[in-house]
Amino acid sequence: MNKTIGKPVPLIDGVEKVTGKALYTADLDGREALVGRILRSPVSHGKIRRIDTTKAGALPGVMAVVTGDDCDMTYGVIPIAMNEYPMAREKVRYRGEPIAAVAALDAETAEQALALIEVVIDELPAVYTSAEARAADASQLHEKKPGNLERDVHHSFGDIAQGFAAADLVREEVFDCAEINHAQMEPHAALAEYDPERERLTLHSVTQVPFYVHLTLARCLGMDSSRVRVVKPFVGGGFGARTETLNFEIIAALLARKVGGKVMMQLTREESFLTHRGRPQTQVKLKLGLTKAGKITGVECEVTMAGGAYAGYGLVTILYAGALLHGIYDVPNVKYDGYRVYTNTPPCGAMRGHGTVDVRHAFECLLDRMAGELGLDPFALRRANLLAAPMFTANDLMINSYGLDECLDKVEAASGWAERRGKLPAGSGLGMACSHYVSGAAKPVHWTGEPHAVVSMKLDFDGSVTVLTGASDIGQGSTTIVALAAAEVLSIDLNRVRVVTNDSVITPKDNGSYSSRVTFMVGNAAIEAAKELRAKLVAAAAKKLEVSPEEIECEGESFFIRGAEQSVLPFHDVAIAALAEEGTITVKGTFTTPKEAQGGRHRGGAVGSTMGFSYAAQVVEVSIDEDTGQISVEKVWAALDCGFAINPLAVEGQIEGSVWMGLGQGLSEETVYQDGLPVHAGLMDYRFPTIAESPPIDVQIVESIDPLGPFGAKEAGEGALSGFPPALVNAVADALGLEVNFLPVTPDRVLAALMKYRRALAKKQSKKEAGK
Amino acid sequence: MSEVMPDFQLARPTTLDEAVVALATPEARIIAGGTDLNVQLRMGLAAPATLVDLSLISALKTLESSTSGTRIGAGVTLADLASDERVAAYYPAITEAAALVAGPTHREVATLGGNLCLDTRCLYYNQSHWWRKSNDYCLKYQGDICHVAPKGNRCRAAYSGDLAPALMVHDARLEIIGPDGIRQVMLADFYREDGADYIDLKPGEMVTAAVLPPPKGPSGYRKIRVRGAVDFPLAGVAVEAEETKDGKRFTIALTGTNSCPIMVDMPDVLTDDPNAFFANLNKAVQKAVSPQRTTTIAPHYRRLSIAAMAARLARELV
Repeated sequence: MNKTIGKPVPLIDGVEKVTGKALYTADLDGREALVGRILRSPVSHGKIRRIDTTKAGALPGVMAVVTGDDCDMTYGVIPIAMNEYPMAREKVRYRGEPIAAVAALDAETAEQALALIEVVIDELPAVYTSAEARAADASQLHEKKPGNLERDVHHSFGDIAQGFAAADLVREEVFDCAEINHAQMEPHAALAEYDPERERLTLHSVTQVPFYVHLTLARCLGMDSSRVRVVKPFVGGGFGARTETLNFEIIAALLARKVGGKVMMQLTREESFLTHRGRPQTQVKLKLGLTKAGKITGVECEVTMAGGAYAGYGLVTILYAGALLHGIYDVPNVKYDGYRVYTNTPPCGAMRGHGTVDVRHAFECLLDRMAGELGLDPFALRRANLLAAPMFTANDLMINSYGLDECLDKVEAASGWAERRGKLPAGSGLGMACSHYVSGAAKPVHWTGEPHAVVSMKLDFDGSVTVLTGASDIGQGSTTIVALAAAEVLSIDLNRVRVVTNDSVITPKDNGSYSSRVTFMVGNAAIEAAKELRAKLVAAAAKKLEVSPEEIECEGESFFIRGAEQSVLPFHDVAIAALAEEGTITVKGTFTTPKEAQGGRHRGGAVGSTMGFSYAAQVVEVSIDEDTGQISVEKVWAALDCGFAINPLAVEGQIEGSVWMGLGQGLSEETVYQDGLPVHAGLMDYRFPTIAESPPIDVQIVESIDPLGPFGAKEAGEGALSGFPPALVNAVADALGLEVNFLPVTPDRVLAALMKYRRALAKKQSKKEAGK
Repeated sequence: MSEVMPDFQLARPTTLDEAVVALATPEARIIAGGTDLNVQLRMGLAAPATLVDLSLISALKTLESSTSGTRIGAGVTLADLASDERVAAYYPAITEAAALVAGPTHREVATLGGNLCLDTRCLYYNQSHWWRKSNDYCLKYQGDICHVAPKGNRCRAAYSGDLAPALMVHDARLEIIGPDGIRQVMLADFYREDGADYIDLKPGEMVTAAVLPPPKGPSGYRKIRVRGAVDFPLAGVAVEAEETKDGKRFTIALTGTNSCPIMVDMPDVLTDDPNAFFANLNKAVQKAVSPQRTTTIAPHYRRLSIAAMAARLARELV
């Protein structure tokens, strides 16, 4: 029987957030801080001929000016693809790229100083789309990258020719998905402080990955990493925007060192958009083969991503796109070709559902259309292709638990699919789709051989349990998960547990919050640490009660002899007894991914590998105004298999958040560049949905109990996202007969497509009549 | 890129006379709710020497209604306007338009006068200083060419106030105070088709009220936008339906499609063939509007959708 877990618990750091007491980076003590500001490239592509900072440096109140000359070390999250400088050297490659920065006594002076920096750039031709970048005579962004091709991937599993030969129906379509951005609530900020006496640097930042930031600062500043300290305060959303070190973090540190003091760098919303790292514009060419019964026999997929000006996570994104064709349905024959392309736009990166979303969109849309051709119900088609855990996929991904069948059952019933589909009023429709996501990458970006997660726990004289973790809570609730794990294993009240997070001088290293790794890895490490602490407490209780440890039970903050509940020792008494043996107790738990989870031996096989996948199914109901092309999402039914819901309230929130983010990508979100200048760089023009567009979401949790997961849990924060856009587009098709191959389905695009569709339909009709 | 507020003097007059004096100082600008101007100040789109805050002038905040008409003070907030029962009973288009402006928090402070004088908008204009500088500025501010129509000689920025068409279909007049006293102008004549010079306010003048005659018939307002809140209108339409001795006559006014709000001439009355009539109305609106590439949403879409919406609204008023 679970005591603490499995029950809905408000996030333990939620009170600070809703009462406004939580301090985010921009709220930190900036009393002695100088104001840091960045000068950005006005052109998309060019050779830097001259940067003269003399006048800016001479302006009273300006304490430091830095340029590309101040840092000749590249950085980047992937060790083999570091090709970015914090400030441009020799070349600029996108409008908005940092060129120089100043630290001044106040914002106005900093602004004046930026205006005094003289920059001469010889402009080069720029490329903004994959097609432009790959054209024969295209201007090249990086040396040694001909054709602006950052990385191409060619994977083939099974026998694709045989797969299509076995098919009764083969269809191919091309889908275009717009670039999108995370648009997290908190704009970027960093507070850097350099102590010239001890030559040490402290950086507070909005990051999801303090460990990577730490390594990058040491690298780019040429410092011994022991002289660097990175702290992550409260963070107002990440979604992948902050899963790699960002230029402003390094620039703030460079300025702080130059002035020998403190620099606050707060980016505007526009600058946060310019820093980008969102989901790239992606073209998916997908060919599927199905038997009459709906069994998938072959999958051929070509993906091209316009990745922006620098590598960032690019090669991982293009690998994920192919790897996650697997792991959800039984697809033995799969051919994948991926192309990641450089363009003169802000660099893309990781974003919630990293790599899979646009490919899943194409897959689920095409499946639906082929179901229609075969006269199969969309649910029946999915059910014809389910997996049976435990198993390994064609590309060697490990699957130990699989709840997609149950997810399908739940949303089918809840939405009234069988009774309602096809019977809704004109202009209304139902669509469905499935999706999945990894519970942490089984191989980290920085492979060191260390455990994937470490959690420390301290028990002291006051009877309190302190958990120390480097896991970055960015709103997803990881701090609460760690506390719940400790409370559950130790059978103590949640309030007895305090969690200390994200200060590199205090907490153990953690790789960070990305690829939905934290609950699985850090959760398991927390359980292990708590078990070790419990063993010490049980031993102390056994000694006191003069029985063997095997006879001791612990429950409800007390220890007692099994079957003899009269001799009960309160938790604090046992803690004191345990401390008498060795003083303050510190224990440690770790988690290491099993070797068989680490993916295939093929090149890039580590990407996509995980300990377990979450699975989701959803149904979307729409109604469409045929005069304006405006789509209203009336309701969404979503079910997610998260293995086990350690905190059902948080799981529900994550599912709603995923659906909502999918809603944004589906309905209205996109970046738009005018010759490389972002037209979307504000919350007015980057149109994420408002509450007016937000439908009621019926959420159901499926628990498949993963054998390796903490208490059986898997990820819950990303899996439900990628099902929304295809379910939406499938619902539009159900409502109007109109099949669209673009995202987002904004009203202008829908109306244009609808008019084209009707003209074609009318033409067909008149031809038919003429033939009679 | 700092979004630093520029330095300015703040004048806080308590009477209209004081306000007129304050406005006479060089480079003075009015600030009421600030929902438009504050954003512009932070984007470097304006650097007034003096801001004349109207929030202490109670004379601007009255809304009076009688059998001879209605007078709405320029300082009445959009939230108050949207919830006023008299306005809802007599001029539903105004209620609907006020309720559709921006978001609830904007409407709490935004005013009628501010919305009527709302600056024209364009994707080349409503950007940061860095952005506009990188793009060589534009005709509307600090530059020489209109990036929307480079061959033209005027600014194409779109007028985007929701309230103007709703007031126009009800034959509103504006009351304007200035150094030369008080004058009145028909609201429809207050605007000009020039994004950089779109309203008829002389230096030192300010709008004090909108004056409406009794309504001639029912009305409504509809708005095209991507999102159901916050967004400015890609296009907006107000329609008033008047019962005349010859039949039903429609007055139509639009926003978001041109550099000023426009009236559409519908001389005919509703005929026995409503389908044909409303199809004509749709066509007349399509012909009258002239949306430009001032937003990321295609002009053609704005034209088609608002014309369809105008016809639908007119039908609803029958």
